[in-house]
Amino acid sequence: MRPILCLFILAAAPALAQPVIPPPSQSAQGDVAVTIYNNDIALVQDRREVDIPAGRSRQEFPDVSAQIRAETVTLTGAGVGIVEQNFDYDLLSPQALMQEAVGETITLVRTNPATGQEQRERARVLAVNGGVVLQVGDRIEVLRDDGLPVRVIFDRVPENLRARPTLSVTVQSEQGGRRPVTLTYLTPGLGWQADYVALFDEAAGRMDVQGWITLTNNSGTPYVNADVLLVAGAVGGQGGQRVVRRPPPPPGSLRDPGTETAARERLGDFYLYPLPERTTVAHRQIKQVSFLDVRAAPAARAYEFRNAWLGTMDEARSASSVLRFSSSREQGLGDALPAGTVRVYQRDARGNPQFVGEAGIGHTPMGSELGLVTGLAFDVKVQPIVERRERVTAQRWRTSMRYRLTNAGPAPVTVILTQDGLWGDTRIAQESQPSERISADSATWRVTVPANGEAIVTATFDSRY
Amino acid sequence: MAAPRFALFPLFALAALAAAAPAAAQRIVTSPRPDSVDVTVYRDTNRHASTAFNRQWLGGYALVSETRRIRLPEGESEIRFEGVAAGLVPQSAIVSGLPEDIVERNRDAYLLSPGTLIDRSVGRRVHIRRTSLASGRTREFDAVIRTGADGAVVLETADGFEALRCTGMPETITYDRVPAGLSPRPTLSVRARATREVTATVTLSYIASGFDWQANYVATLSDDGTRADLFAWLTLASNDETSFPNADVQAVAGYINREAVARQPVEAAPIELRCWAHSTTSDIPLETFEPTPPPPPMAVLQDEEFALRVTGSRVQADMVMSSSPIAVVTAEQETLGDVKLYRIPEPVTVAANAQKQVALLQRPGVPVEMVARHRIWPFTNGATEPANRVLIARNRESDGLGLPLPGGPLLLFSETESGRPMLIGQGQIDDRATGEDIEVWLGLASGVTGTLQLPNRRAGERDYVLTVTNDSPEPIRYQAEFYNYGEIETDVPLGRHDGRPVWAATVPANGTAVLRFRKER
Repeated sequence: MRPILCLFILAAAPALAQPVIPPPSQSAQGDVAVTIYNNDIALVQDRREVDIPAGRSRQEFPDVSAQIRAETVTLTGAGVGIVEQNFDYDLLSPQALMQEAVGETITLVRTNPATGQEQRERARVLAVNGGVVLQVGDRIEVLRDDGLPVRVIFDRVPENLRARPTLSVTVQSEQGGRRPVTLTYLTPGLGWQADYVALFDEAAGRMDVQGWITLTNNSGTPYVNADVLLVAGAVGGQGGQRVVRRPPPPPGSLRDPGTETAARERLGDFYLYPLPERTTVAHRQIKQVSFLDVRAAPAARAYEFRNAWLGTMDEARSASSVLRFSSSREQGLGDALPAGTVRVYQRDARGNPQFVGEAGIGHTPMGSELGLVTGLAFDVKVQPIVERRERVTAQRWRTSMRYRLTNAGPAPVTVILTQDGLWGDTRIAQESQPSERISADSATWRVTVPANGEAIVTATFDSRY
Repeated sequence: MAAPRFALFPLFALAALAAAAPAAAQRIVTSPRPDSVDVTVYRDTNRHASTAFNRQWLGGYALVSETRRIRLPEGESEIRFEGVAAGLVPQSAIVSGLPEDIVERNRDAYLLSPGTLIDRSVGRRVHIRRTSLASGRTREFDAVIRTGADGAVVLETADGFEALRCTGMPETITYDRVPAGLSPRPTLSVRARATREVTATVTLSYIASGFDWQANYVATLSDDGTRADLFAWLTLASNDETSFPNADVQAVAGYINREAVARQPVEAAPIELRCWAHSTTSDIPLETFEPTPPPPPMAVLQDEEFALRVTGSRVQADMVMSSSPIAVVTAEQETLGDVKLYRIPEPVTVAANAQKQVALLQRPGVPVEMVARHRIWPFTNGATEPANRVLIARNRESDGLGLPLPGGPLLLFSETESGRPMLIGQGQIDDRATGEDIEVWLGLASGVTGTLQLPNRRAGERDYVLTVTNDSPEPIRYQAEFYNYGEIETDVPLGRHDGRPVWAATVPANGTAVLRFRKER
């Protein structure tokens, strides 16, 4: 920016009608309302007082987002009709200045390298193609070809060259006068996400959760004293179901979607999170605001282990450590949860909270069951082993599996053991404890592993392959 | 011109070299700018409606028709058309209105640059200016350029032979004149004859690259979600370096075939001097007259010192107005062969490197339907997916529309209870003729989820179970479209959409809806 500004001041000397660049400390923004979505998009509504003469006039709107999506601009106001909207991005740069000067006369100031004396000359720009060809007097020469110091002074800045992309709207008005107009537009560069701090008390089976909204502004423009509204949800983008030609992925954080409505303002499919008071969202600023504070919501630790196919693992692997809780009104956090990261803390022996893992959640309706995989359990391991695989008939195979579950901890744990990949009409011919077929492709056992002990589950699968 | 030029279009810029013989009886008539201009912008046919155009790299084109009043002298003259678009495709140029036939038409792209100056001055007398760094005094003497071949410039001076700028002293060549045949910009010219001096109205039309346009729809949904005010902008952009002030502007929607056109490259390469002290004749990059790649984002341009409060007067919240603008100028649509033409009814300026928007159409109160929709594929098993929000309208007169809709992105707005406009969906409309159905996919509805459970064959089950949840306090309209299922059996009647079975249901407020179905074998 700086070199451009310098040039501009230089060029403005011959007091011609030049566009005025406002000093950077003043903002032309009026009453600004910013609505921010999760997918890098924000709706800015800017109510300004503008003096509009009767008839047609061209209005410029400085201090809009530097990344404004110009095609989304809408201007409304009492008695204001739109003729056309323009977005000019022919930017002022040394090269653009020189290109525009082809055929024009400029001033050269040569500085004598030995004496420092300055010598002024007028020169006509003949061509700017990989170098500037000038006519100085009756000679043709190339600008600064000999490397000596030469200043180029332009008489004026062409009107079409602008310091920054400029939005202008040509309006038609019956009457002249100052009036409020509303400018709305979309811009990328503003975003937010939720961050949750969960303090889990394992012994009591409870957790305290605080939700924070983290708001970022990289749009290149500050929004001064703005009324900020955050919308939980991604607007736009073709969802379209993915074609999943494989077993379902390991369960995400959302285990069972809820159907409760949270006691928050909503519009269409979106929950709205207004910031409590007006605030200035500066460029490159991160702002955090609390939006959720729940004490002693029920929560429990669970262990999950999933064997993706009927195979052996060479060594015992740790089970996933899962924090299970609900977002329901009765038995949980009692709110819809915007997408973000949940960071889980537990108190150590001295009572200091320590970080024990984190997991992401999507936009979660109220009343949902969640299971956050926060890490792997150090003490709880499982090793699946294929003991036998034999052909029964030409088409059918029989696979005997043994799962060894170990617990090095001082308390008994329950592991939810899932055998996945039960394609086609795979049957369980025999098993050491009853399973639950949670889907066509997978079966689970709830296995209690004693403190400092182990448990064995065996099962025989009858499959086509 | 004494020396005959080669063909109508010199294939290689070198041809211009041969043609550079002294201009004899021919007079040069320069027409600096058009008197009136008409610009018709065509879309980039390879760009899908959902993709916004990149303003720095526009893939569409324009047909530019200019009218110029030109005074022709008697005899033969060369008419140079200046102020044409830089993206001009020379093969497409048509010149009419000259009193007699055109002898030939040329586009010269051998440009005046430091390199071509040297190249065209080989064997000629030039001047060398040396500056003493100690005294600052300059000395000029004559020299003859012996070679300007790439990598070296060898000069013959009174002292013998020297290499340019291998002296360690500041030195440069100055010339007496610009050699003939070098133009500052690619220039279109015609050679024409007139039996007597005449003022002719000449029309020049050509296709120029570096333009594009699209429709941008803004829809505002009513409170009950059954109607929408539809507004559309005609958004056109130019990244040409030439502005067309007060032009009659049209935009064409539809698919128009085009073939690849070989573009003659411009030639103005700087000469790289390779000698014992390496240097170049220039450090300004070559302007190639092709669209330039996008610059880095603007985000870095501003400082953070902006955060000062504004003490402007606050506007009351009840002063909010509809989010649809009121347009006083709206493009007029007409049918042109198989495509649709939109005419901006009054002259406007198509500025260089700029985007312009004029109202394209306005339709208040169009009946619409908002549904949540899933596409159900076989193997979409187990996972819980949010539904898609779809806006459905019918492009018929009886349904409040009934007009050609050129493709483009659509933004759907609604208002909160306090009247604040909210963006609730983004999607796009493809080119839609009158009578067609319009479906705009607006994004995900995260409160509406669907979970498909495959049958457990071990237990002898055949039923697939689709469970749909709704977290809102209002019942919602829901559709499941079955892809690649063939026929399916259900206990409830199914509809059809594009040949696929569709389950249409209402999911109760804060409730679930369940569909059990079987695949027909």
